[in-house]
Amino acid sequence: MTVEIAPPTSGVGEVRPPTRGPASRRPAWFGQHVGTALVGMVAGYALGHWIGNVIASGYAHVQGSGENDVAIVLGMVLGVLGWLAGIGALNYPLAKLVGRDSVPRETTGWTRYFRYNLTHKVVGMQYLIMVLVFLFTGGLLAMAIRTELLSPTSHIYGPGTYISIVSEHGTVMMMMASSMVLGPLGNYLVPLMIGSRRMAFPRVEAFSFWCFTAGYFVILSALPLGGFPTGWTGYAPLQTEATAGMDSYLVGFLVVGTGMVLAGFNIVVTIIHYRAPGMTWGRMPIFVWSILVTGVLLATATPTLAVACLFGILDRTAQTAFYVNEHGGSSYLWENLFWFFGHPEVYIMALPGFGIVGEMLPVFTRKPLFAYKVGAAGMVGVGLLSYFVWQHHLFQSGINPDMRPLYMLTTELISIPTGFIFLVGLGTLYKAKMRFEVPMLFCLALYFNFLIGGITGVFLSDVPVDVTVHGGFFVLSHFHYTIMGGLVFAFFGAVYYWTPKITGKTLNQRLGKIHFWMMFVFFNLTFFPLFLVGLFDQPRRVFEYAKNLQTLNDVASVSAFLLGSSFLVFVANFVWSLWIDPKRAPANPWGSNGLEWQTASPPAWYNFERIPVVLADPYHYSEPTEVPVADLAPTNFADAAAAANGGGA
Amino acid sequence: MTETHADALSGLESPEEAAYELRAAEASIWTGSRLLISIFAFTFAALAFAYFYLRSSNSADLWRPNGVTAPTATGAAIMAFTLAVTGLQYYGVRRLRSGTILDWEVAGWTAVLAGLIALGLQCWELTDVPFTPGSSGYASVFTGWAVLNIALLLGGLYWAETLLARHVRLRRAHVEEGGEKSGLLVARVTRINIVSCAHFWMFIGLIAVFFWVFFYVVAG
Amino acid sequence: MSEQTGPGGTPATQERPFRLMIPLWVVLSAAGDLIFWFVAGPHVPPGGMSNVARGAQFDFNVLFVVALPVVLAVWVYMGYAIVMWRASRPGAPEPVGGPAARGNFKVQVAWIATTTVVVLGMFVFGTVELIVPAGAGGGEGPNPIWTPASKNILPIQVIAQQWKFTYRYPTFGGMETDRLVVPDHTTIAFHVTSLDVIHSFWAYQIGVKADANPGIDNVAFATTRQLGTFTVRCSELCGIWHGAMYTYGKVVSKSQFEKWAISTERQLAPNTKDLPPFAYTYTPSANGATGGYYTPHVDPYSKVEHYGATPQHPKVTQPAAATVTTATG
Repeated sequence: MTVEIAPPTSGVGEVRPPTRGPASRRPAWFGQHVGTALVGMVAGYALGHWIGNVIASGYAHVQGSGENDVAIVLGMVLGVLGWLAGIGALNYPLAKLVGRDSVPRETTGWTRYFRYNLTHKVVGMQYLIMVLVFLFTGGLLAMAIRTELLSPTSHIYGPGTYISIVSEHGTVMMMMASSMVLGPLGNYLVPLMIGSRRMAFPRVEAFSFWCFTAGYFVILSALPLGGFPTGWTGYAPLQTEATAGMDSYLVGFLVVGTGMVLAGFNIVVTIIHYRAPGMTWGRMPIFVWSILVTGVLLATATPTLAVACLFGILDRTAQTAFYVNEHGGSSYLWENLFWFFGHPEVYIMALPGFGIVGEMLPVFTRKPLFAYKVGAAGMVGVGLLSYFVWQHHLFQSGINPDMRPLYMLTTELISIPTGFIFLVGLGTLYKAKMRFEVPMLFCLALYFNFLIGGITGVFLSDVPVDVTVHGGFFVLSHFHYTIMGGLVFAFFGAVYYWTPKITGKTLNQRLGKIHFWMMFVFFNLTFFPLFLVGLFDQPRRVFEYAKNLQTLNDVASVSAFLLGSSFLVFVANFVWSLWIDPKRAPANPWGSNGLEWQTASPPAWYNFERIPVVLADPYHYSEPTEVPVADLAPTNFADAAAAANGGGA
Repeated sequence: MTETHADALSGLESPEEAAYELRAAEASIWTGSRLLISIFAFTFAALAFAYFYLRSSNSADLWRPNGVTAPTATGAAIMAFTLAVTGLQYYGVRRLRSGTILDWEVAGWTAVLAGLIALGLQCWELTDVPFTPGSSGYASVFTGWAVLNIALLLGGLYWAETLLARHVRLRRAHVEEGGEKSGLLVARVTRINIVSCAHFWMFIGLIAVFFWVFFYVVAG
Repeated sequence: MSEQTGPGGTPATQERPFRLMIPLWVVLSAAGDLIFWFVAGPHVPPGGMSNVARGAQFDFNVLFVVALPVVLAVWVYMGYAIVMWRASRPGAPEPVGGPAARGNFKVQVAWIATTTVVVLGMFVFGTVELIVPAGAGGGEGPNPIWTPASKNILPIQVIAQQWKFTYRYPTFGGMETDRLVVPDHTTIAFHVTSLDVIHSFWAYQIGVKADANPGIDNVAFATTRQLGTFTVRCSELCGIWHGAMYTYGKVVSKSQFEKWAISTERQLAPNTKDLPPFAYTYTPSANGATGGYYTPHVDPYSKVEHYGATPQHPKVTQPAAATVTTATG
């Protein structure tokens, strides 16, 4: 067989694999699905635990401590593998070893959401539900924290329970927020927005989702294992001395981290190579820009976290001394590795929010996106700079005092490209025709919240001020204002905005507005008082505080409960509008020019009848006679593509 | 990863669209392999950071007490076998470019064998080190390196092996069905895949040399 | 102007929005800044018992006064936009055409230039405020590069452990006590270290924060300025009782301090002789203490330290007698 690099002019049609078979005829409870995955997980855990006991139960430190971390870690790792095998994620990789291709059977109907499915839209929906599960789990834990902090002195939980709740809340939320937009909306919308029918690596994409779900079980297993006391930062000597719950943290981040790398990998390659003809870099929606930068950050920053977690696992099982000062390791090593990941992570959680508002503002102002190129450049700039700021988390740690001015500079420099996002937003509002639909309200709220979050970030970057505010509630408020006030608000705006696209049904706007106003008001009432609490010297993660701070803490606590209840409104709306009383949405309810709105709602599984040829960016609201954004049925694809790319792809 | 374009839309695609997606699939493998290299580069950069950080901070004077080193001969053998894989991959691709598929195939299987030996040696070396993992900074980082190296070799070998296995399957189909059935689509993407795999192995070779130097030659 | 341009009504080109916005912004910013600076500023963050605490307060106030106009600019603009630039009818209006819909290059350049200048200004200000007060009360690690001008520095060691702070006074016989008493108008070098996990020594009203790392001597400086009590909290999560790890310290006059120190040294002498010799760091599990030693009964404020000079930590030469007890307080 001569494998020539020949132009695929002829014979392309007939070499396809056989047409996909009809939907599985087997009953739904056979085959591989979440049920078998759970069985695999339990079996894997039992097997791993047994192997670990065989290997390590004789070790001195195991007998001394009565806790066999080897067995627990092996149990978790094999449990995750069992989960992946049970869902069917390993079928193809194993078949490949003997050279076989597997032709996936596309299932239809609701059961496909509980199976290993390669369609990017199904994966997007799976991510959406899972992200909400993560979010509500973390939210309940947050309310548990606020319950404890109602009183400065009397306690509801023991200190161990309390610190486990705090740590679990932080970790669950961080895992959730890293995938919150890229997972559901990135996977669902990016191919639609760039005019592609598919992802570059659908199996990698599906695999990333099932890693993410496995991570949920692993991190939740910390609670029955006794929790872990380190917060989401997992600082080292405490990490090394902690009990079995710590293994859940380390393995959990390893598993979720693997999913994050893979999700980022797939989406970056997709954006680079699967753009439709004419979808030049200069015409790409700003949301896709934000997802591109986020994907690069996910793929390149997360390996550092994975390695740091691996070292932690080795410290706890193989008794290495990476983080043990007395044996040649260094507790600073964890701090450095963790924050080298941790700071890009912060922008992983911020950038998609910027992308979402950039995408929605033109629609609701009927104006082109102001300073589009500056906005895109700002995102790239934020992404690049985010690798050079990590030691601002360590200003008081005692390392590298001479580097502090440098890290202060890089941190403050980031506010320049972040400011571009405000330039984009405010410029777009200028003399606009604003419509205060629910998604637009969330957009405006992002600008309100992120302004406070961003400005307080400048306070934190200033080393002398950081001496006062570091490690206190001021920091806590700051990052809740950026992540919750930014990302989570943008996410819910996006859910209201794109639900008609994804489901073909509209969410109830009145309930949406109630949800928005509750969330906005009580979010601010929860976290604004906490800035003051922080300035009056309440450190993070404490269960006792000064008596004179009780009023502020109680305002925050009560608001937190009401903030939590606003999500009940959302869930009610979601269930009511999609299942109980569905209302058919118009094809393009917001009057958007975006390419994703040019196809059916919900889109067919091939997205576009024909690969569209893109003619303009999606923000052409400038003139009443607007240019069509794309030629959806090009008569001569090759010629049209060449013409559309002529401007320079 | 590679033939996923093949589950695309039979009958729904015009030939031009198919060609467009084929180009995208090829380019994706090219870019994907580069991105994969950068992912692993960050992974091993984290390891190198740990190495140099612990080495320079030398906490409790325990970076490398008594100049203890992992077994030098084993280390050199692991590196040599890893480099052999890299070299064979490179050679195979060159032969493939000049049209000699058999040479590529033989080089490929030999490379897999060499890689398995390197992998086995790396596993065995862990049982043969003259220190306990927690006895020093060096010992810790070395343990970390061994684990990561096993993962890297496994990944690289998996990629190389699956390409060969697919090739065998394609050839069998070719022989059985006697026609041009093997098809251009898969073959073209596979070619890119083979070249990308060889590039990935060059990266693995670089990693092997780098860490060999710092773990065995100038361990500080 | 609102009478000219009803929402979405008359052509937008006649509107001069900044005629209203700019005066409004100037008035609000000036009022807000003045009110903050004179009314709230002196109390935020509270406490000015040392030079660095006062410095932190000044820095915070300066940043606030710069930040408030920025926030107000966005709020005034957004408020104006929400009130004035709304669609008149339900449903998707016609796109906005004309000049308002075009990108404005000058605006973009001006925005970028302004933010850059502000940011660089903040950086210069922050760096000066960091270096001049010798690290601004933050932990500078074992070899501080910014050191106070004063040559008479009182060293106090802060030993953190799960879950309490104790203090050793090396120049008072190396006594260890759980009371933090410091003299007024004195430059103090806090040597912060830990016996187990990472803690953070946060002496709030004297503006000091330094992480306590096991095996690391983290030095922070402050010069006391005012008598009174201050709060000490652990601000780095250190395990389950982290929330209960707080205590109070006292700034007293110099003479009172010396009286207290000398009497306490005498009282604690029987305990002190059982302690390991003073060291910069302690290793609870290994061979005892490592680090440099103070000779007993030196001048309490002498220049026993030359911060930033050559290696500060001679290697341990003799194994200390006992393992460090973690129950000395």
